Amino acid sequence: MGNYQNMQVANSNVDGVNLKLLHAAIRFNALMLGLTGGTIAAVVIYFATHASMARWGADSGNYLGLLAVFFPGYSVSSGGAWIGAFWAFVYAGLFSWLSYRLYGRVLGSRISELLLSAAPTDNPVLRPSIMRLHGASLGLAIGAMAGLGLFFSTTWLVVRGTAAESVHAALLANYIPGYSVSLLGGLVGGLGLFVFVFIGCQLLAAVYNKIVETRHK
Amino acid sequence: MNRPVKDHEILSAVFAKMDVIALALAAGVLFSLALFLATAVLLLQSVPENYPVGPHLSALADYLPGYSVSWPGTLVGAFYGFFVGCVAGFVAAVYWNLAHYVALGVMLISAAELAD
Repeated sequence: MGNYQNMQVANSNVDGVNLKLLHAAIRFNALMLGLTGGTIAAVVIYFATHASMARWGADSGNYLGLLAVFFPGYSVSSGGAWIGAFWAFVYAGLFSWLSYRLYGRVLGSRISELLLSAAPTDNPVLRPSIMRLHGASLGLAIGAMAGLGLFFSTTWLVVRGTAAESVHAALLANYIPGYSVSLLGGLVGGLGLFVFVFIGCQLLAAVYNKIVETRHK
Repeated sequence: MNRPVKDHEILSAVFAKMDVIALALAAGVLFSLALFLATAVLLLQSVPENYPVGPHLSALADYLPGYSVSWPGTLVGAFYGFFVGCVAGFVAAVYWNLAHYVALGVMLISAAELAD
């Protein structure tokens, strides 16, 4: 048996935690969050496209149409709404799935002590407990994904040679000092967005946990 | 011999329900603050006289009647942000819980079929 296999066997039970079960649990919830995020984003894009068409008719798509840069084949039209929904499902599903994988990885074997609002119920499957959120882990996971997302989106604009024309993307500099549609600007923007999202997640988790504590004393 | 206890706790954490009201309110507070700050940041930046402030963010008025990039607009935006956040949080929590119930149902049916 090689060193790597020895290490795997030795790590399969850390502090009494069955790592195989833990990893299966994280994979399961990552899939659930991927489906949740992807479906919601797909529905939003589908209805936003139709709302834009209903509101502006032939003039629709001034802003929403810019999504075609990232959604190949998308346009503000009935057919385009389906294509947009597909791409939104793919991007948001992947974003959510990866975020939960990272979240679970950061929480690690402390997942139950950090996420449960009370002692586990006698039947966790049929009578589930109420979940808590761990702000720092959530912020790290979603912040990292959002930061990387902005960096890669900016890089895509640079690679396709439309950086100078991307005036709408450049407006982010109003909120993220140092951002520009360039490789360096994308890096600075990614770091800036990471900080904002991290703070946002801390706030979300703090308010959510406070309300959970109040409602389930 | 604490493994069964730990396994039970992991299962509890995985299948724990999201509190729908709590997530709706928390997302409402976050969205509200975000739209308030997004508007306020533009207002605090110096722009040349007679130059339009935040023409792109102002386009939100097409979806949020009464909203504008102005100080009264920050309050209107905060109100709408809270409403939109509440709806988003509510939908996300309900969908999350529902997805778990459906997955559980599938697992239980599969297990029952295997037992037969």
